[in-house]
Amino acid sequence: MRIPCPYCGERDAHEFSYLGDATLTRPDPAAADAEQAFHDYVYLRDNPAGAHEEWWYHANGCRQWLRVTRDTRTHAISGAAPARKSGEPA
Amino acid sequence: MADHSSHDPLAGLRFDRVPPSGTYGADGEPGVTVTIPETPFIALVVARNGFAESVTGRLGRAFGLEVADRTGAAIGAAATVVGTGPGRFLVLSKTEPDLAGTLRALLGSEAAVSEQDDAYVTFDLAGEKTPDLLAKGALIDIDPRVFLPGDAATTVIAHIGVTLWRVDEATWRLLVARSLEASFTRFLIASGAAFGLRLENGTAGRG
Ligand SMILES: [Zn+2]
Repeated sequence: MRIPCPYCGERDAHEFSYLGDATLTRPDPAAADAEQAFHDYVYLRDNPAGAHEEWWYHANGCRQWLRVTRDTRTHAISGAAPARKSGEPA
Repeated sequence: MADHSSHDPLAGLRFDRVPPSGTYGADGEPGVTVTIPETPFIALVVARNGFAESVTGRLGRAFGLEVADRTGAAIGAAATVVGTGPGRFLVLSKTEPDLAGTLRALLGSEAAVSEQDDAYVTFDLAGEKTPDLLAKGALIDIDPRVFLPGDAATTVIAHIGVTLWRVDEATWRLLVARSLEASFTRFLIASGAAFGLRLENGTAGRG
């Protein structure tokens, strides 16, 4: 499997480490239902057959986090974008 | 120089010592020559958020180079600037002893600068079999028709992190974390022996 890093170009998946679902949002820790929301955020994952947005870290390359769109059935990768938007705080 | 032409070019060499200078493997004119050039001064420049473009421009003007914020090596008489990540550059110089200080004065608060003189060991590989040797450990395409002079990559070779660039038609320069010098040299010997490899590292089993 090869991942098209926006900075480095197409690279073997061995250069990356995988984090998982990139669509989750960290819950508000001050909310009344924070305990349940954090349980779901930390432990519960869908297992979609098809397109999946996920985080990959290019550890052995540019050392940037990427948001990758991968088809879980075929491993076909349709896109990879930097996680950090230029100009946003690090 | 020692002549290591036995069937196993690494026979008798301690795994945790840098192999000594000598010729390894196939007889005749070596297909690859590996030298450890006099260590250049090295500094890492990381542009602060929002300053990548400005830092790129300042580096280019200061050293008279075409520097771009991408993978690539801009090579000049005064310095070489290698892109290793967005807004991040390794700067090498043979003539600026206080390279980090010079860069801090140049870039001010636009970038974080750290001295890296002792972080890396530099390998210069030359000879027509160099791409064939590197291909045995590389995950990227380093075919000389694809990886051109001035191209650079930060990647792994033989499971060891490497920043490499092609200096000119015949020469490739690799930076490897200094503590991995022995391991990486063993990879070069094991993979280059088939072509004949000459190693000139000025050491005799230095740890
Ligand atoms: Zn990358």
